Amino acid sequence: MASQANPRLMFAILAAVFAFLYVPISVLVALSFNDGGLPTAWTGFSVKWYGALFRNGDIMSAALNTLIVAIVSTVLATLFGTLLAIGVEIRRRKGRFLETIIFAPMIIPDIVLAIALLSFFSLLNVTMGLHTVILSHVVFNLAFVCSVVRARLKTFDWSVVEASADLGASTVTTLRRIVIPVLLPAIVAGGLLAFTLSVDEFIIAFFTAGAGRSSITLPMQIFAMIRFGVTPEINALATLIMAFSVVALALSQRLNRGGLPGQ
Amino acid sequence: MIETLLSLKGIAKSYGSVRAVSDLNLDIRQNEFFALLGASGSGKTTVLRMLAGFETPTEGQILLQGRDIVPLPPNRRPVNLMFQSYALFPHMTVSQNLAYGLEMERLSRAEVKSRVDEMLEIVQLSHLSRRKPDQLSGGQRQRVALGRALVKRPRLLLLDEPLGALDKKLRGEMQMELKRIQSEFGITFIVVTHDQEEALVMADRIAILKDGGLLQCGTPHEIYEHPGSRYAADFIGEMNFLSGRVRAGELVTEDGTRIAAPVPADVMPGDTVDIAIRPERMKIGTTNLENMVKGQVVATAYLGLDLQVHVQTALAAKPLLVRMTAQEVDTAQLVEGDDVTIGWTAQDTRVFRA
Amino acid sequence: MKDRSPALLMAPALAWLTAFMVVPCLLILALAFFRRGIYGGIEYTFTLENLGLVFDPLYAGIFLKSAWIAGLAALIAVVLGYAAAFAIAAAPARRQPALLFFAVLPFWSNYLVRTYAWIVLLNREGLLTGIARWFGYDGELPKLLYTEPAVVVGLVYNYLPFVILACYAPLSRLNVEIGEASRDLGASGWTTFRRVTVPMTFHGIATGFVFVFVLSIGNFVTPALLGGGQFQMIGNLVYAQFLTANDWPFGAALSMVLIAIMMGLLTLQTFASEKASGSGRHD
Repeated sequence: MASQANPRLMFAILAAVFAFLYVPISVLVALSFNDGGLPTAWTGFSVKWYGALFRNGDIMSAALNTLIVAIVSTVLATLFGTLLAIGVEIRRRKGRFLETIIFAPMIIPDIVLAIALLSFFSLLNVTMGLHTVILSHVVFNLAFVCSVVRARLKTFDWSVVEASADLGASTVTTLRRIVIPVLLPAIVAGGLLAFTLSVDEFIIAFFTAGAGRSSITLPMQIFAMIRFGVTPEINALATLIMAFSVVALALSQRLNRGGLPGQ
Repeated sequence: MIETLLSLKGIAKSYGSVRAVSDLNLDIRQNEFFALLGASGSGKTTVLRMLAGFETPTEGQILLQGRDIVPLPPNRRPVNLMFQSYALFPHMTVSQNLAYGLEMERLSRAEVKSRVDEMLEIVQLSHLSRRKPDQLSGGQRQRVALGRALVKRPRLLLLDEPLGALDKKLRGEMQMELKRIQSEFGITFIVVTHDQEEALVMADRIAILKDGGLLQCGTPHEIYEHPGSRYAADFIGEMNFLSGRVRAGELVTEDGTRIAAPVPADVMPGDTVDIAIRPERMKIGTTNLENMVKGQVVATAYLGLDLQVHVQTALAAKPLLVRMTAQEVDTAQLVEGDDVTIGWTAQDTRVFRA
Repeated sequence: MKDRSPALLMAPALAWLTAFMVVPCLLILALAFFRRGIYGGIEYTFTLENLGLVFDPLYAGIFLKSAWIAGLAALIAVVLGYAAAFAIAAAPARRQPALLFFAVLPFWSNYLVRTYAWIVLLNREGLLTGIARWFGYDGELPKLLYTEPAVVVGLVYNYLPFVILACYAPLSRLNVEIGEASRDLGASGWTTFRRVTVPMTFHGIATGFVFVFVLSIGNFVTPALLGGGQFQMIGNLVYAQFLTANDWPFGAALSMVLIAIMMGLLTLQTFASEKASGSGRHD
């Protein structure tokens, strides 16, 4: 029924909203190439701020930390999340309690999960560092992977599982040769999503990384830098991070929508 | 003496308090093309799934060549199922789908390849062996599903509504194809279907299931010509039904017309009965048959070469159906409103206790 | 694949969630009822003081302030988001997926970066100042960054894509004929929108509002960066209890209240959505 709406008004709304969404980040991207580095004047095109970025040891070590956290937590979350999704969908009975537990990591405010984990690790006298960040990131990452894989399983033809058993395959063989390969695009999409979330995640990392420079992640580094104002290096870093997220998301969407031919 | 391959002994299946199948006994012979026929909810699919191993009977035994296979999981039974949805593996090519079951038997690569190639020939898919299921037509997919199950050389092949997803024309071709393959391989086929025509065309024997129990089992001819109950008579083919009553040793319809028919022994005087006559057994314009009744043509409809004539009579509220061959049609030249006489023999009349 | 395997498949994930989510959250719940130690530790004696402290005028004020800012952000986000979703749903069907994709895309870029973009815009030496100078305005612009409106704008900016997504789902499912039926029965376009479209898509509106409200009230990044520490919201208060004031039991109590608000709103939202779509049918 929205089709009866006034097209000019609709266009104006879209133009305004898209401008609101995209002008701030576009300005950021443009400024990262501004030779002078200041937002008040354009002094010519340059990539020198990107160069400065790669010579900044703090940023590079934070980026390395983020990469470690994202890779390890993504691998674990993809494994656990996929198995969880398959398990939940095979089970015919849908438990409300189970659904709540699986859904919770996606809706609990970050700050609450962050302080809960901080208290938990401190009371157990666990020395905090990158490993505790990884443990924590797996919590929400596995929930997201699970939800992506479950969405794919909703259209999954379970009779292929029975067909595999009928042809002589054991449960493990069926999982390895039929279920996982058919789900692969969704699993990869979920993994990419998890990786992106982990790279971008700030609050939980901030609370569970412990003290000391050695376990600072990239978002923590950015937070520290922007509290003290605008520097051209952050513009460059911000541009790179946005580009990464956008590419990863687009890839994930593409994989998931296309699926395997014929599904 | 034909050897029995499979025996169902007192099979029952309940889901909680719902009884899907109760006390089913069936013997299926070596090399037989057997059809389990029934409406939805008759329990036919449950029986098939118990044979394949996806459901466990609540009671009873399933003996395959004398050995009870109930305790065996699906992957350890020498029985294969062709799924209604075909359940082809979407990420594998036609060849890979066919090879899958053989790989599970840990056969050598060379053996797998030669048997897959052989089966591709039989199901006429050699030229499509590298395609994936979504690049195939419905009929081709069906043949992949059939080949995938057959290539394992099971003692028993189960087919769940094998032709249900195909259009009418293709269905006719595939019926013949299935019969050809079955006789070539000498494998016992059990087909589950709700389509009585399909069962009549393909099967050596048919079991009609109703409400989880066996209603009748026999050859297509036995079942068509001598249905054991009103339900079976109604379910298989077209049938005219008249309500009647046995009075003073005679069979009389509701309007008082006497019907000549063999009355079964279990029908007592005073019982109400259903009288059934096949449309093709009724003749229009003949004079010397045991049963004769006047009526008026209310509609005609062509069914291929045959003409189906709807004749309103005093015998029943519904018009009777009469099926005429092309020759009969040409001589009779019937139009709506014509007054006609319908006749049929006592021998072609079936009587069931109501 | 049927009998015991689901439990086996789910076991690792459920064990993980239990260890690193359920137990820590229960711990926080428990902490809220313990006393704060003299030197910042935790004294394991039961008390209701922490929860009582939440209602202390000082903190209650922060709560009200947070709720005001979160409510304002949620309201603006819902109005903008619903309008955008409506416009996307009105676009030709083949363009809708792309429009939706680009509306949601910024949501997936880094939260800090998106917030930082507003610092660049609103900074005293920022882009807006630059533009003003370019037009020949030499005076001081009013202070933009580190103000309450800056925080609200930042929150709206960050969460708007989600609202668009939440509102688009029910709008895209609306049957064209229902709107036509309303027009056919004599309703004007505006009346149709008010009496049919909005009630039938209320679920999305409510979801969007609750989401923005809950995430905003517990937010500490945006107030810290765009508010410049000029005022505190609950998120900042929780942050402070754990990282500076070292009063964990009070921090725990605050986050319990946060969770309670969230759950209360979610329940209310479910209830309200049912009622709205129900009354939409009966009207």
